Amino acid sequence: MSATSIPVIETFGLTKTFKGVQALKPLDLKVSQNSICGFLGPNGAGKTTTIKLLLGLSRPTGGSARVFGKDIRHESDEIRRRIGYLSQDPRYYEYMSARETLRFTAKFFYDGPRAEIERRVAETLDLVGLTDKADRPIKGFSGGERQRLGIAQAQVNYPDLLILDEPAASLDPIGRRDVLEVLCRLRKYCTVFYSTHILDDVQRVSDTVVILNKGVLVAQGPIEELLAIGQGAAFTLTVKGDYAAAEARLRIQPWVTGMQVMSKNGRVSWQIRVSDPDLAEERLVPLALAGGEVTVCEFGRKAQNLEDVFLSIVEEDNHERE
Amino acid sequence: MSASESLLIPSRSRGWRMGLGNLLSKELAGWWRTRRWWLQCLVALLLLNGGMALNMKGGGPENAGLNFLVTAGLFAPIAAISLASDAIFGERHSGTAAWVLSKPMRRQAFILSKVVAHGLGMLVTWVVLPGILAYLQLKPAMGNGLSAIGFMGALGLNYLNMLFYLTLAFMLATLFNGRGPVLGIGILVDFTGIMQFVALPVQKYVPWLNDIMPWKLTVDFGSSGPLAGYLAVGARLPTVLPVIATVAWCVLFVGVAIWRFRREEF
Repeated sequence: MSATSIPVIETFGLTKTFKGVQALKPLDLKVSQNSICGFLGPNGAGKTTTIKLLLGLSRPTGGSARVFGKDIRHESDEIRRRIGYLSQDPRYYEYMSARETLRFTAKFFYDGPRAEIERRVAETLDLVGLTDKADRPIKGFSGGERQRLGIAQAQVNYPDLLILDEPAASLDPIGRRDVLEVLCRLRKYCTVFYSTHILDDVQRVSDTVVILNKGVLVAQGPIEELLAIGQGAAFTLTVKGDYAAAEARLRIQPWVTGMQVMSKNGRVSWQIRVSDPDLAEERLVPLALAGGEVTVCEFGRKAQNLEDVFLSIVEEDNHERE
Repeated sequence: MSASESLLIPSRSRGWRMGLGNLLSKELAGWWRTRRWWLQCLVALLLLNGGMALNMKGGGPENAGLNFLVTAGLFAPIAAISLASDAIFGERHSGTAAWVLSKPMRRQAFILSKVVAHGLGMLVTWVVLPGILAYLQLKPAMGNGLSAIGFMGALGLNYLNMLFYLTLAFMLATLFNGRGPVLGIGILVDFTGIMQFVALPVQKYVPWLNDIMPWKLTVDFGSSGPLAGYLAVGARLPTVLPVIATVAWCVLFVGVAIWRFRREEF
């Protein structure tokens, strides 16, 4: 295996138990180099637990993990030298200014020279748009400013891996856009592994997605592949007229797995989930028109987004557990 | 620009020193660049030197000097216990500890930096400055009866006594999740030397404890005066066992604090 093909993050049956409750069940995860990997899951799925294990803030109960090919139990120091981390609820020393916070952070990674550290601090402040507030104490910062400072401190050391736990959670739409732009810019230099609830953001910037549910990995792969899984599954058909018979004809088709009906302005719109998309594409309109009761206004495949896929995977997993 | 293109020199420190210098600078800044140091100074000067000034009017300089040492031996530990517990709990509960620990540093460095910085801060605010002022207050009245070197020695014992409680509080703060046990245990141990209802059973049932605890350093314990008092008047110490034992306790407490903090999960 060549050096470049070694996954940046690789876990092998990683588990974590808190007071008898298994927060993370054997997790086998892989994140490749220079990717932006969205780490998704409902609250309490185990995302933050996984991140803390990778950073050495918490100890695994079982299994193992490697970051940059190094063991998280025994080589944590070396791993943390190459990581930038933003926690879910970032806290800093309130009496420090943003510049002092970044200087303090940078000095964990660099011995000097002082001028270069200052230059890097200034550059990082500029990157996140905090230059004009650089010398104010953090205690006066808004949530968004703290988050930006968090992103700045996470990448002041030119990390090879950036781990962000809910980086855009407390940001307004403009702040979110800025964060996503920073992530895209950093892709060239490092791997980004970030957890979030904002699925729209994940779909916009991520290459790969990992979905965790109740401590179990339920999906993992390139975002196109995950979207493709759900792509053929739904169609939208809008008709007007007396639609009851047409609806009944569609419902009895063996390849129709579900229908949602929405009526508006004398038209009815069906969202039809199917098991055979090719057959559905060919047969849905003729079947609807067969009785002559309705006319078709609109027909097409429903564009799946990550939210649909996420919800479907998580709900399916929950259903299987029940 | 990537890291390889920049002129920054990667940190070379390894092992327990990893991050120590940076953390120590931060801790010292927390003492000297905030109002903490002068607030501590103000409290110490009012309590110790103000109290001594009042004592000098009532009971003479020798008595006032002894009271200064005893009061310092009693109240400096309370300040130390309170500051040390805040230092650990504050960081743990606010989340700054988790943030710092995600950087390349060792947990030993986290504890050591706090012990050193607080030890230094307390030395200046609770020992050196009140001590110098106390010397200046006593010298005119006592003349050659007060040895400068002896008085420094007495302050040294006072400092050692305070270090005992500082390190004890650091250890307790890593062992417990709440301030209550840290303050409770620390203050109980501190007051054992002076509160008769605790001191008398100790003297009766476990007298050897007096020799291995720091009480004798600053408190008029039993029939003998405090060891600091001997030094203040230039006399020889009747025993050095409490001094050696207190140093050993401090080392043990720091060791346990480090051991426990290394196992802590965030």
